[in-house]
Amino acid sequence: MNARTKSLSTWAALCAAVLVCALGGWSYAQARGDDTLAYAKARDAAIADGRRHLARLNSMDGKSSASVKSGLTGWLAASTGPLHDRLRSTREKDSADLTESGATARGKVTDAALTALDERAGTATLIATVDVEITPRTGKGGTERKRFEAALARTGHGWKIKALDAIPVGSGG
Amino acid sequence: MTRTGGTTIADASSTPDPDEEVRDEEAGTTQEPGAPRKAPWRRVLAAVLAVALLAAGAALFVEGQHLRDTPATSNRALTDTAETTRVAGDVSSALGKVFSYSPQGTAATKEAAKRLLAGKALKQYAALFGQVEKQAADQKLTLTSQAVRAGVTRLGTRSAHLLVFLDQVYEREGKPATTAAAQLSVTAELRGGRWIIVDITSR
Repeated sequence: MNARTKSLSTWAALCAAVLVCALGGWSYAQARGDDTLAYAKARDAAIADGRRHLARLNSMDGKSSASVKSGLTGWLAASTGPLHDRLRSTREKDSADLTESGATARGKVTDAALTALDERAGTATLIATVDVEITPRTGKGGTERKRFEAALARTGHGWKIKALDAIPVGSGG
Repeated sequence: MTRTGGTTIADASSTPDPDEEVRDEEAGTTQEPGAPRKAPWRRVLAAVLAVALLAAGAALFVEGQHLRDTPATSNRALTDTAETTRVAGDVSSALGKVFSYSPQGTAATKEAAKRLLAGKALKQYAALFGQVEKQAADQKLTLTSQAVRAGVTRLGTRSAHLLVFLDQVYEREGKPATTAAAQLSVTAELRGGRWIIVDITSR
């Protein structure tokens, strides 16, 4: 009788443990398979990456030809697709031009929002305002306010900018 | 299970029914008086298994909560498509109304502002609109604003943050129209089923 109760309690304990494990697994699977959660995370990742890359694409240290070269390498790292191809094809010319002008620009994204996100296709549209602080080699600098619309694409190294447009006035809604 | 164990003892020596045979083997290790030292082993095994299962369950649960508990979950921008579209629409149309006026229509604009703005935004606007009203009358100035892009940065249950790009067309009587761009960071609150603008920052 004693052995029987012990056996019973052992089985009960095991059953309870199995149940706890199953509940834990179920809860985990729910979180894992939550599409909304995955979508929200993709959104936040796209915004964070987009902001960082946009700031980089609006920045350039024109002090020396070496700093211009590393700045252009940064531009290539921030872009993908058509923008990347264009920047690569004009790299030599850009490098010469920027070194000659010697201006230094520092871009800071003041606000940004996604207007579209297709998580499955790995594409997103970001709008952002950027303050670009420009210091020319000679003369007085200033801050330019710009507004952009950027097309983002997901790559193996996070989200990158594949097209960048300064939205002109009168471009319509 | 115990029932099986019970019958097994009784049947052990008598009928070698094939069905019973299987149960016999299963339950035999714990119940057979011939092998009592096997019982502790089983119990230890069961205890270890139970602890392992509990630990695994707890770990999975914690991991699941960890996945859920991020800032991403509280922000419904884009994940709640209907509400995102609604707040962007409400705010865009509100900005279009309050930043559009004609020399004759400043009163209408003022009325719209009282309906569509509140809190800090209304105070800022009131301070600004005193000059605007005078200018509009004196210079026969007409301003038309249109939201060209609107994106929702944060969307909570009652408050939202947006970035809106505006195109503004200024028309002075007898002069060609000029256009200007404006970028506004807007905080909106849901009041009485409508999104009301409570703060505006120019970018």
